[in-house]
Amino acid sequence: MRDLFTGNFGIDPLTGQTILSEILFYLPNTLELVLFSFIIIIIVGVAIGYQAGMHFSTLRDSVARITYLVSWSTPMYLAAIVAILLFANYIPIFPSGGMYSLSIAPPPPVTGIFLIDALIALDMTAFVSGVQHLILPALALAFVNFGLISRAVRSSILNVRWSTYVKTARAKGLTEREVRRKHILRNALVDATSLSAVIFGWVLTSTLVVEELFAWPGLGQFAYQAIFSNDYPVLIPIVVVFTFGVIVANFVADVAYSILDPRIGMGANGAVT
Amino acid sequence: MAQSLKFRQIVLSNRLTSLGLLVVIASVSVGVAFAIFGARVTPYDPFVLNLQESNLPPSISHLFGTDFQGRDVFSRVIAALPIDLGLPIAIVLLSSVLGMFLGMTAGYMGGVVDEVIMRITDLFLAFPTIIMVLAVAATLGPGLVNAMFAFVFVWWPPYVRLVRGGVLEVAAEDFISISKALNSSFSHIILKGILPNIMPSVLTYATLDVGTALLEVSILGFLGIGIPPNTPELGVMVGSISYGLYTYPWQALFPAFVTMLLVIGFSFLGEGVREASDVKVRPYILFKGRTFKKATKAAPQVAAAH
Repeated sequence: MRDLFTGNFGIDPLTGQTILSEILFYLPNTLELVLFSFIIIIIVGVAIGYQAGMHFSTLRDSVARITYLVSWSTPMYLAAIVAILLFANYIPIFPSGGMYSLSIAPPPPVTGIFLIDALIALDMTAFVSGVQHLILPALALAFVNFGLISRAVRSSILNVRWSTYVKTARAKGLTEREVRRKHILRNALVDATSLSAVIFGWVLTSTLVVEELFAWPGLGQFAYQAIFSNDYPVLIPIVVVFTFGVIVANFVADVAYSILDPRIGMGANGAVT
Repeated sequence: MAQSLKFRQIVLSNRLTSLGLLVVIASVSVGVAFAIFGARVTPYDPFVLNLQESNLPPSISHLFGTDFQGRDVFSRVIAALPIDLGLPIAIVLLSSVLGMFLGMTAGYMGGVVDEVIMRITDLFLAFPTIIMVLAVAATLGPGLVNAMFAFVFVWWPPYVRLVRGGVLEVAAEDFISISKALNSSFSHIILKGILPNIMPSVLTYATLDVGTALLEVSILGFLGIGIPPNTPELGVMVGSISYGLYTYPWQALFPAFVTMLLVIGFSFLGEGVREASDVKVRPYILFKGRTFKKATKAAPQVAAAH
């Protein structure tokens, strides 16, 4: 058990390297991809859910609902395949795979995250190449996973829209904008925050498919290879790392929750009550 | 009765929900037809190789084209329906039964039993689903039954939480305490008092969940783990193409789009049912151009659901 917490996962029987060093090599790449698409998911998800909720039962609501239901029902591999076929094959504006062009010397690793390293080294060509390679997989990830946020925002807006305190806020003479921003949207964001941890877990695990199709050298691809070569000594630490990521995301969401919603305080022992 | 009639009307008044219902009914009946009659309902035999006709593009004789072994993709998509619908439905059914049993035990017994069950549930909830499924399926080895058990192994925790929450809510109601005061038997309270009140929320969640399970099953097939290769399964069909993606995109795109269509069917249906059973939102749903509140000229209905 002590080895688990000190990161001593043993040695990869296939490559002979320590598993920790391999995970530390792959993890930053996955984090780059996941965080980038997570930002897209939050922005797009909240915007679409807000539009749907505020225009409930109208055309705009239907369009928004169809959008997020379809996106949510899309298999991860379909989004990735269509993205590759459309934007890398038929309209070749983005590269189809990899993390940066092979013609570019990678910047010296400082943080391990390619884009940040390129910025630190002030290597603009590497940075642009990194962003180009990042866009397609990140968009594919975002497209599949934003639906749950939209749905949560929409349904919590519907829950508060006709409530008495919103009426009170209007009666107090607040402008419509203020009512919407401070009273409706803020409440909707509380639900979205608690869900964002779930979404983060989904995005993290969706990397399994996306990284395989986009040849992104990340933890998902590493896990895939480990499963295929029956490399259980490697698979177990990867599951631990993924699980740990989900738990950390849950914790961050809980903290953000208590900041957004003053009614939820921290209990005496640090537990969110 | 009037209540359920109105409920049905609301569900069907929504075009999206009706569309979802249509997709679900159509795909299930085609799947059942294939399961009963086999290759007689498909234009070609989905299992017979025909190397002379390999990698043909979509045409009138081969609606979705043929795959690298000359099998008709359209026939294989039909042959995949029993697996791709049956596996998720079985997973959701088993998980919900397990979840209802554990959740009702935890919610009704309370105390130490509740604590133990819920901590175990939390433990399972912390694991990322698909990674755990992959690990379990890889350990169990390929096979449809193994894949199903791998899924059920990680699929039940949300049901426990859902059912336990519902039981706690219902058990606090007056009619349960009255029932207890009248010395009703334990099984009577559970079956007649609590179960009917938590069923709607479980059913709603399960409808949506079948879609999610279908997605994950096909991802498992796509990655080539758990589900044996060459099984007519939508994900497997997509996954077996990775090298010819640019040359023969139809071999991957058609099964993938069919997967999407199936999941959309369950999502639309589940979403509509969820909306219609939401007491707060229901009166404002547009019903034949008017909000439901105006259409019935009544105060918001107190629904039996939730």
